[in-house]
Amino acid sequence: MSLADIWLFLQQGVLSGLVIGSVYALLAVAFVTVFKTTDVPNFAQGEIFMVGGYVALFMILMLNWSYWLVIPVTLVSVTLIGAVFQRVVMEKVVKSKGVAVQLVIATLGLAYVLKGVVRQTGLGDSPRSLPPMVAPDAVIIGDAFLTRLDVLIFVVSVSVMLLLFLMFRYTRTGKAMRAVGMNPRAAQIVGVNLVVIRAAVWGLAGLISAITALLIAPKILITPDIGHIAILAFAAAIVGGLSSIPGAVLGGFIIGVTENLVGLFISTNAIVVAPFLAIMIVLIIRPQGILGGKLQVKKV
Amino acid sequence: MTTTIDKVLLLACAAILCVLPFFVSGYVLFIVNLLMVYVVLALGLHIALGETGQFALAHIAFYGIGIYTAGIINSTWQVNVVISILAGALLAGAVGYILGALAIRMRDIYLALSTFAFGEAMQWVFLNWVSVTNGSDGYRLSPSHFFGYEFTSDVRAYPFVVVVTALILWLTVHLSRSQLGSAFRAVRESDVAAQAMGVNVNVTKRVAFMLSAAYAGLAGGLYTTFSSFIHPDSLGFQATVLILIMVVVGGIGSVRGAIAGAIIFGLISELLRQVLSFQEIIYGAILILFMMFAPKGLFGEARYAKIPIAKKTAGAAQDENNAVEHKA
Repeated sequence: MSLADIWLFLQQGVLSGLVIGSVYALLAVAFVTVFKTTDVPNFAQGEIFMVGGYVALFMILMLNWSYWLVIPVTLVSVTLIGAVFQRVVMEKVVKSKGVAVQLVIATLGLAYVLKGVVRQTGLGDSPRSLPPMVAPDAVIIGDAFLTRLDVLIFVVSVSVMLLLFLMFRYTRTGKAMRAVGMNPRAAQIVGVNLVVIRAAVWGLAGLISAITALLIAPKILITPDIGHIAILAFAAAIVGGLSSIPGAVLGGFIIGVTENLVGLFISTNAIVVAPFLAIMIVLIIRPQGILGGKLQVKKV
Repeated sequence: MTTTIDKVLLLACAAILCVLPFFVSGYVLFIVNLLMVYVVLALGLHIALGETGQFALAHIAFYGIGIYTAGIINSTWQVNVVISILAGALLAGAVGYILGALAIRMRDIYLALSTFAFGEAMQWVFLNWVSVTNGSDGYRLSPSHFFGYEFTSDVRAYPFVVVVTALILWLTVHLSRSQLGSAFRAVRESDVAAQAMGVNVNVTKRVAFMLSAAYAGLAGGLYTTFSSFIHPDSLGFQATVLILIMVVVGGIGSVRGAIAGAIIFGLISELLRQVLSFQEIIYGAILILFMMFAPKGLFGEARYAKIPIAKKTAGAAQDENNAVEHKA
């Protein structure tokens, strides 16, 4: 491999990595938001994302709706799935007993139900993609080739992350979510409605997942098992720090870029195992993740 | 009271298992064999999760280690099946001990995620270490023998599988009543309190991991006696979740629960194998409903449930302190 090749591979790897990494980053942000606020590691994150893709696919293939209608309906319906699940199921589980194991199992239950329902529709029998949203022209940056869709994915993802940042920082709802994450009892005392905020957080996670699904589903083939991609989002969240949203973003980009570089320089076979090694290494060396910092002691 | 019921149930099960081979077909015996393997797997997870409270998600990885170890020894040296099964259990136990030594630095979600990552990485190894496991083509298990008695069919393997499962059950119950069992439960209820009572928490957790992994390895060895084929696809997270469901819906911390869960969910899994979508919806619905309305599962230990629900204050604070501890 000549020096010029390496330079080309490096550019291509980093740019493609940033594109796919932004998808991981979004899913990781959804995961971390829920984890921070409700203490639930959502093992159904990937399936919620998958349902987003299939809701859109259903409307486009079966109902022949245009994207202008499909996008809002998808966003709203997946948001509702998240919010309703939290309100109806998770609140009840917490009330009944609510230890980490039970909460995780409940989310695994959701993952199964969503997968089963999608399989039942028959849409998932063969891998499909959403029709392209933008013309498939190539965009050349440096020596690297991207498609317009790639650029769209990156730009929209980063915008969504910025909006989330602004929301968490400046809006009342965002502040309430952060407060619940820091200390639910204190938040309740100052007038935050815990039930509403928790449902809103799950809804937000659903919304982010739906956006992610709409962005990536035209680029990749989706199947009912595509939720597996969330493993990379878990990896991103762990690498960045489970309790840090900027960490999740950073982790997503790191995982995306690493994956592409490993694929280009080592072997595509090694891509699959790289994130798990990353998870284990990070957990052993720095369990709190890169931006996890020291956890603050919550005084009750 | 419950012990009498247990004895009656146990005798009834033993009687059914004794007469079963005279009445049913080979396929039914295959299912029963498989259920026995699930029972051993569930009992293994019961030790880590139920007794010691360690939320580990790598159980199937050890099962896979057991299957491949026993299978490879069987086909290479044609030794007695006891040796190959023990070798699988020992190797799985050793790997479990190492994973435990690394993982006990973490708690709850971190432990779950790191063991989950280990499980996925092991599946990748099974899939890609082609020279040993034959990779994605699957591995053909050759028939093993027990002092010259060849396990050529489900029927011939059946008595062996049942006896070994019974031994494992006996071992589990005795383990639970031993000092080690008390140490396990002390660690489950509170690390700090256990430490204060003189329990070496780290060693106890490592031993729990090791035993749990060894059980899974042994279950893998049992699988090789009656099955002729293994594919890495069946050794993924789905399978780990199946075992987790058995233990949790059966009732965390209860041997009865683990067995009942293994039988019920093993049957559901086998009967609905052809209709994946129904299987998934039914699993999901059972999990959600149980967690909502009966989080203790079918046979949850009353003791375990007595932890006040209002512990969100004291318990949560303590959990966070522990989390801080390991982060510091």
